[in-house]
Amino acid sequence: MRAVVVGAGFAGSLIAKVLGDNGFSVLVLEAGADTDHDEAVERFRASRVKSPLRPYRTTVAAPSSDYLINTGPFDYASPYLRMNGGTGAAWTGITPRMHPDDFRTADIGRGRNWPISYDDLEPYYRAAEWEIGIAADADEQRQHLPVAEGYRYPMHALPRTYLDRVVASVVDGASIDGHELLVVGTPQARNGKPVDGYRPDGNLCAGYASCVPICPEQAKYTPHRTQKRWSGTVELRTRCVVNRVHADEFGRVTKVSYQRYEDDTTGRHTRHEEEADVVILAAHAIENAKLLLMSGLANSSDQVGRNLMDHPALLTWALMPQPVGPFRGPGSTTGIEAFRGGPERGRRAPFRIEIGNWGWGWSAGSPDSDTAEFVAAGLRGTALRRAVAERVSRQFALQVEVEQEADPANRVTLAAERDALGNPRPSLHYGLSDYVKDGLLAAKRVCDQLFEMLKAEDYTSYKPDEERYFEHNGEPLRYWGAGHGGGTHVMGSSRRDSVVDQWQRCWDHPNLYAVGCGSMPSLGTSNPSITMAALALRTADHLVSSRVEGVLGKMSKAP
Amino acid sequence: MDAFVELSAELTGFSAEELRSTGLVEQYRALAQDASHAEIIELWYTGVWRGVIPSSRAYAEGLAWKAVGVAPPGTRAPGFGSWEHRPRRSSL
Ligand SMILES: Cc1cc2nc3c(=O)[nH]c(=O)nc-3n(C[C@H](O)[C@H](O)[C@H](O)COP(=O)(O)OP(=O)(O)OC[C@H]3O[C@@H](n4cnc5c(N)ncnc54)[C@H](O)[C@@H]3O)c2cc1C
Ligand code: SF4
Repeated sequence: MRAVVVGAGFAGSLIAKVLGDNGFSVLVLEAGADTDHDEAVERFRASRVKSPLRPYRTTVAAPSSDYLINTGPFDYASPYLRMNGGTGAAWTGITPRMHPDDFRTADIGRGRNWPISYDDLEPYYRAAEWEIGIAADADEQRQHLPVAEGYRYPMHALPRTYLDRVVASVVDGASIDGHELLVVGTPQARNGKPVDGYRPDGNLCAGYASCVPICPEQAKYTPHRTQKRWSGTVELRTRCVVNRVHADEFGRVTKVSYQRYEDDTTGRHTRHEEEADVVILAAHAIENAKLLLMSGLANSSDQVGRNLMDHPALLTWALMPQPVGPFRGPGSTTGIEAFRGGPERGRRAPFRIEIGNWGWGWSAGSPDSDTAEFVAAGLRGTALRRAVAERVSRQFALQVEVEQEADPANRVTLAAERDALGNPRPSLHYGLSDYVKDGLLAAKRVCDQLFEMLKAEDYTSYKPDEERYFEHNGEPLRYWGAGHGGGTHVMGSSRRDSVVDQWQRCWDHPNLYAVGCGSMPSLGTSNPSITMAALALRTADHLVSSRVEGVLGKMSKAP
Repeated sequence: MDAFVELSAELTGFSAEELRSTGLVEQYRALAQDASHAEIIELWYTGVWRGVIPSSRAYAEGLAWKAVGVAPPGTRAPGFGSWEHRPRRSSL
């Protein structure tokens, strides 16, 4: 059985591993090049703007998200990375599961229902958590999620930040709008202390505080770890940009075409083809849609590229009355889960609040921005030094991920403009519905109240000349991109209105799969990758069992 | 006496010894020949010279971070679990 996997990112690396372990011959075609780890760390340190893609090697032939063209009322603000390892190299590594309700968003909120339930996915969540290596405490997670009895995450929860303890000491047990508040540990894909029977890959998290975009210690999971565990039957070819999938007259996929380049700085390339019994597209939500559109496949429902969603993130920032020691350790180790559900979900988007431990780094560019402000105000010498210390040591932020519902009008299409290889660039029409805007506004009000409870000095401000600024009900708002693009090859229970079935198999093509967040009918309020990884393992299991016996038992070391 | 170090100490609030220990005095002196006071402070505090970071050391030795008492992200690790503790007061 010859499988071709398109993309050696998060989803592709996981699927290739399971297939390889089960005797498939797997060819992984990866558009990007490899980045040397030490070089990337060095590039991070020397970059003026430490944005997520900055440390990584980029090529002219396989541009990353910076080649997107925005045409809608709002800019799609999330980056993705085309490099071996994909966006999964730059991610933060926060891994909360979705809630059971999040699989029924059409019934209780807005958007679409899933064709499967939380219970169908639960065993694969466990398998994914063991494969990736997640640090969390099952009892703590059970405070808001049904985690299987007797289950242990492979690593104990990471210690909470000092900031978390300060916040919890004030807000735990209090309530806002009838929601009881509780600060809950967030599952993390970075190494903590292992439980018996688990051997972590890589070093213990040492607190470098640069997980996104790069962990110098390699304590954070990246797909390179999974690639190291690939069996000998998996072959990786980097610098190969797939630009077409071919099907025969019956809809069976026969081969893929790809463009291979050597040089980082030009579009010079050679053309190749590869035959396959099964093709798995794992090129990221936007690139999967682009590739299906370029190939003219899988689109009898007219849903390819549609339903593009993300988490518009609202940032708010303030000063605690006392120093809290920001910029030590991971970006966020806890959150407030209370607003992820509730009856309001029928009226406005729900949200999840991360307690942000990296000061105003993301929101305002601290400490450079504070320094500039004080220097402009005339501070010099000891007064300046003291002002910076006083300001930055008390900083914290709330990072709120707001659900965005599947909306067919938010979509990826092919632009007339071409990239260096002559392929169309993705064109994005993106907007925020009133449901989302109401959610952002509600989130802002909750942050205001939290700051008041904490006696924190609110410094949040959104200005008309800033990117992604808008007003809603007369209130200034702004959103940031979370990097969680999904929905573009949406999964459903009918071929009439969805692109893939519950196995992420294209309805129109029995041997073509599209995997990743693009399959998700809703994103809920959790960072999506652990759910995407669970789905990928479920698909791999299906591929193996539709040929031989199931692998779940074999693959999952989870009790 | 070194006029550049003296001026830098006065502007930044860090002693001549603290500035020398960064290993950046020579590099910064060369860069900052015709710099304004604000530019000299920006260079020492953030490691940025007219929009670029001249070396990764410039980032790693940024005085803004030293004022706060933490390492710039991705340069030095305080160790597993260090983030649990109440931060120590800065020395000023
Ligand atoms: C800054 C940031 C922080 C994030 N933090 C989190 C987090 O904390 N938690 C979380 O759950 N999620 C997070 N995410 C999201 C997470 O990174 C994505 O969900 C995940 O990487 C998607 O996996 P994927 O395999 O679909 O895509 P990717 O990981 O992007 O992999 C796709 C791969 O396909 C390759 N490819 C693309 N086109 C082609 C082609 N034509 N031919 C061949 N190969 C191709 C790419 O080069 C890439 O290697 C974050 C994202 C960003 C940007
Ligand atoms: S806190 Fe530091 S060591 Fe830990 S995962 Fe993040 S970057 Fe790596």
